[in-house]
Amino acid sequence: MRRVLIVPPPAAALAVLAALALLAGCGGDRESAAGRDTLVIGVNADGPGLGLRTGNRFEGFDVDVAREIARRLGARDVRFRALRSADREKFLERGTVDLVVATYSITAERKTRVTFAGPYYVAHQDTLVRRGEGRIRDVRDLAGRRLCRVDGSNSWRRVIQQRGVPAEPVPAGNYAECVRMLKAGLVDAVSTDDLILAGLVRGDSSARVVNAPFSDERYGVGLRKGDVAGCEAVNKAITGMYQDGTAAGLLRRWFGPSGLRLTTTVPEFEGCD
Amino acid sequence: MSVLTLAALAALLAFGVSASVGAGDAREALRVIGRDAGPQAVATADLYFTLGDMDAQVANVLLIGGEEGLSREREAALRTYERRRDAASAALLQAADLTGDDPAEQRTVRDVLSGLSRYERLAAEALVLDRRSGHRAGPPPAEVTELYRRATDLMRLELLPKAYNLTLESGALVRRTYEDRRRDVLVARAVSLVAGLLLAGALVALQVYLAARFRRLLNPALALALAGAAVLTAAASGLLGGQAEQLRRARDEGFDHVLALSRARAKGIGVQADQSRFLLDPARRDTYEQAYLDQSQSIVYVPADSLGDYHRAVAGADGSRLLGLVGERVRGRTGEPAVRDVLTGFQGFQRRDRELRHLVRSGRTREAVALRLGASGRAFDRYDGALVSLVTAHRNAFEGAVRTGEARMGPWPYALPVGAVLIGLLVLAGVRPRLAEYR
Repeated sequence: MRRVLIVPPPAAALAVLAALALLAGCGGDRESAAGRDTLVIGVNADGPGLGLRTGNRFEGFDVDVAREIARRLGARDVRFRALRSADREKFLERGTVDLVVATYSITAERKTRVTFAGPYYVAHQDTLVRRGEGRIRDVRDLAGRRLCRVDGSNSWRRVIQQRGVPAEPVPAGNYAECVRMLKAGLVDAVSTDDLILAGLVRGDSSARVVNAPFSDERYGVGLRKGDVAGCEAVNKAITGMYQDGTAAGLLRRWFGPSGLRLTTTVPEFEGCD
Repeated sequence: MSVLTLAALAALLAFGVSASVGAGDAREALRVIGRDAGPQAVATADLYFTLGDMDAQVANVLLIGGEEGLSREREAALRTYERRRDAASAALLQAADLTGDDPAEQRTVRDVLSGLSRYERLAAEALVLDRRSGHRAGPPPAEVTELYRRATDLMRLELLPKAYNLTLESGALVRRTYEDRRRDVLVARAVSLVAGLLLAGALVALQVYLAARFRRLLNPALALALAGAAVLTAAASGLLGGQAEQLRRARDEGFDHVLALSRARAKGIGVQADQSRFLLDPARRDTYEQAYLDQSQSIVYVPADSLGDYHRAVAGADGSRLLGLVGERVRGRTGEPAVRDVLTGFQGFQRRDRELRHLVRSGRTREAVALRLGASGRAFDRYDGALVSLVTAHRNAFEGAVRTGEARMGPWPYALPVGAVLIGLLVLAGVRPRLAEYR
């Protein structure tokens, strides 16, 4: 039943005014990300295959996912903004960006500052080796082998400290450098999120992912804390992307060539509360 | 005089419309939350639990194999599997009924239904092959493991996420209904209150005017209308305010807890299943141990880098700084016995898990299997039982609030407009003879 308030002047007009005044007290929240004309979305600028800036164009899986979500939310104009990992919570809290789609893993601690829609994909830590490598089949086989160590990343720690695998860490500045070192024979393996690895070796047949995942990295869509309506709308959009095959197409387009085993059905959402 | 009469009738109309609309909103909100999306959210959370337990029981049967000392446990696991399978089919059919006309949700239910029959086929093959091999307690032969991997991947990566998302979607519908309708009810209450006061004001003014103009002390019809307006305004305001409060209680003290704890319960079954999978498939041990840790963290979160850290941190948790589905519900409430039981139950289960991993690391897999099906299983049941009691308490609060709301609704949705019409007739009866004197 849709209600139509018949408004007989002047009593009802007065009454409505009074009611609006009452309501004004609880309507102080900022706008939801759902239903905005323009969306500013924070993405990575230096992640090949995920979010990469060339000139002033952004491209990658995250960027395409962000664009699809924005379209399904009904936004007419989408602007991308590069952000570093350390900026993600800050930018959402200040309203610098409306959404963050940037290999942003959902964690209990982050959930205290950010509302997460999705995940839109569950990545796994996995291992990248040279094409001809036959002895490394899972993370245990890294014992005694040279493993690339990127400072500021937890991935190598997961192997050596959490799993207790005695690999020999070799320092590098970032994962792109790791891949160069792998090809040059300076390290035997690179271990981090499979989508990051697959993005780095896209269209390159000299390295492969071993397909022995050992962690879940739930890539979520970050929203301002408390934007539950926006979060629910993003989840609907992600469900739609998986149901109509859009997500599977994007995954294959960006990561198919790496030989990575991809999951093309909708992930288990975190829930917006 | 005719201006005052018109003002009174206009205020009366505004009152009648807003009060009736508000009562209708409250009734609709109670229906959706109490009878439709609310129960559906809980039913789909139960579906998730049921599906998760199917996979857990298959893992248990395969883990026991032909071990003679555990044949009773094997039979029990098989029976539970069959019971859960039937329950899952029934729950899915019910979910299909309740999804209404949302095409995305209908599609999800269909996908789970067809996935479930694929799962049953794979599980049946694995069970038959395992029976033939007659292996001792522990990992089954490779071809059984391979079949089980396909089954469990289908369950964990496709079916369970979809079932979980159905729960979240119903929960979202409850939230939207609650927020929209409760706001509407409160607006209607404010509007009807102001309109009622304006009506009373107009009636008093009419009375005074008539007394001065026609030297009558009291116009009985108008006096009756004024009394009626006062009663009706107070009744409408009380009704709508009371319904907004019942809606709040149904959600904050009932539904929110029921949904979060039901989700936690469903995830708990996955945690226990990850123990069995860990024992069943040594090549995937790292994956299943990590999944165990991740799922445990989603139930009770304490900062920890590894499972060992987590065991220690959970053992020392006092319930004051917890996150996670259960953690957030028990935080600061451990004074309540029902809440404390859930936390201590979870801690007891994690203690057994620590023992279990220790046995596996020292190569005593058969003992670990016996522990999983014995003391560890019982520890889990104690935790799960405590959780069910807490869910039941909140479910009672939820249903109680919905029932109270429905009972208080009584005849008011009809009485309000009828009362307004009667007052209107009284006003006309009161002023009509006077109007006639003008002519």
